[in-house]
Amino acid sequence: MELSKISVLSLVELVVACLLVIALMVANAIVMVYAERKGAGFIQRRPGPYEVGPWGILQPVADSMKLLAKQLFVPANVDFLLYFLAPVLAFLPVLLLFLPIPFGPYLTALKVPDGVVLILAFAGFGLLANLLAGYSSNNKYGILGAGRAVAQGVAYEIPMILALLAVVFQTGSMNLSDIAEAQGSAPWRWNFLCQPLAFFIYLVTLVAETNRAPFDLPEGESELTAGFHTEYSGMGFALFFLSEYANMLLVSFVCATFFLGGYKGPILDGFWWTFIKAYAVMAFIVWIRWTFPRVRFDQLLNINWKWLLPLSILNLWITAVIIKLV
Amino acid sequence: MKMLSAIWDNLKGLYSLLVGMCITGRYFFQPLKTVHFPRDVVEPENLASYRGPLELARGKTDESKTRCISCQMCAKGCPGNCITVVKSKEGKNPVTWLYDFTLCCLCGACVEVCPTAAIQFSHRLYLVSTSREALVLDLLKDLEERVAAGPLPAAGAGTPDAKKPEARMPDAGGPQKAAGGSAAPDPEG
Ligand code: SF4
Ligand code: SF4
Repeated sequence: MELSKISVLSLVELVVACLLVIALMVANAIVMVYAERKGAGFIQRRPGPYEVGPWGILQPVADSMKLLAKQLFVPANVDFLLYFLAPVLAFLPVLLLFLPIPFGPYLTALKVPDGVVLILAFAGFGLLANLLAGYSSNNKYGILGAGRAVAQGVAYEIPMILALLAVVFQTGSMNLSDIAEAQGSAPWRWNFLCQPLAFFIYLVTLVAETNRAPFDLPEGESELTAGFHTEYSGMGFALFFLSEYANMLLVSFVCATFFLGGYKGPILDGFWWTFIKAYAVMAFIVWIRWTFPRVRFDQLLNINWKWLLPLSILNLWITAVIIKLV
Repeated sequence: MKMLSAIWDNLKGLYSLLVGMCITGRYFFQPLKTVHFPRDVVEPENLASYRGPLELARGKTDESKTRCISCQMCAKGCPGNCITVVKSKEGKNPVTWLYDFTLCCLCGACVEVCPTAAIQFSHRLYLVSTSREALVLDLLKDLEERVAAGPLPAAGAGTPDAKKPEARMPDAGGPQKAAGGSAAPDPEG
């Protein structure tokens, strides 16, 4: 009797958490569409969206209205089931990945002891969605984009895991709350100073993992039209779009938790610190998108296999030695 | 040794990335370079290097006359066949000088080839129209109007009143009139 009460309660909690996370993802996409276009505009010294509403603030609303009103066009000879499954598969795992993130000291949807493993394990699903989207849409650009997405995603996942592992070694826990807690309130004790190399490697890989410029080869529009989502229109495209921004937000939250002290701040610990830090990382991602040109594919893989992977192994090794000695 | 130089190269590359980020970061906070057209127009000094549609240069001796001698070199040399020059019966000067801006690629071949340097690029930026016919410009008429407007705005027509977009529109006269005078839509509307 008692037990079932508890499980019902936790189930309600989980449902509420999922709804909140969906709301966060949608709100994030709306804010980021506007922020990204404005940022791009200012960096290129033009105003960005300007005409819809004051300072173009209603532009994302107009954009989403347009997407909603678009015809869902399905090209001939697609693999029907996979074609419709792929956008959903891109969207749903991200939802799950937000659950173990400690937004605040008490604001964690799913307190699991091995949150790191959960995130790293399910992060690969987005890759699968890209692959299925490219494969099922029976389009040469799609399949090329999918191939690139897989090669890139698989390659960059390794240094990313190794970089995060160095922090896990240091903290001695896989619980994200513990990792945030262990860093303390003082900014100079946060992990980006203790683990600068891991922080740098993580910053590079997070851009590659989210398929953002300068590593946006799976959807490089100058070569592949739109890469794996070439054949998607209307809501299918919107879901990919949403999950791209959600993925960005997720890696930013992970970055904030692992390297920037999570919900800890100089004053007043709380979820606002997580959000401030995560959005600072988002701003950084947007900034580099509009600064650097896209790398070539061999360069992309060379950066990973020749630099990031050895460096991350070295970093892990040094961390292990130091931990053993101290 | 080779490895060391590769590492050094990559470090230098990383530094260049930082420099790039500094530049875009600085640009982010600097004032905008673009002009919001209907509410705002380009400053005249920024128009000086703008190569707009052709116009006829003023005569060397008589400023109110064209220098054109109707030799047809420009009309022949134009890749787009934009130019129609009709010679007058009495002298060398043309009676008609029509220029179809819709066909012009602003290549400058006509300006190069003209023996009397009778043609030049104007700085007319706000040339908008809703009909094709309105963009067939009568350059002799345009010259007349510039002469009537004032003695010598050296660098092309209308530079003094660059602040007013209406003043830069093709005026509803000459060939445009036949097209219903839709050449100058109200920029605010
Ligand atoms: S600029 Fe070129 S295309 Fe235009 S009128 Fe002169 S020759 Fe013809
Ligand atoms: S080339 Fe010069 S002089 Fe000859 S017709 Fe053309 S504008 Fe007149």
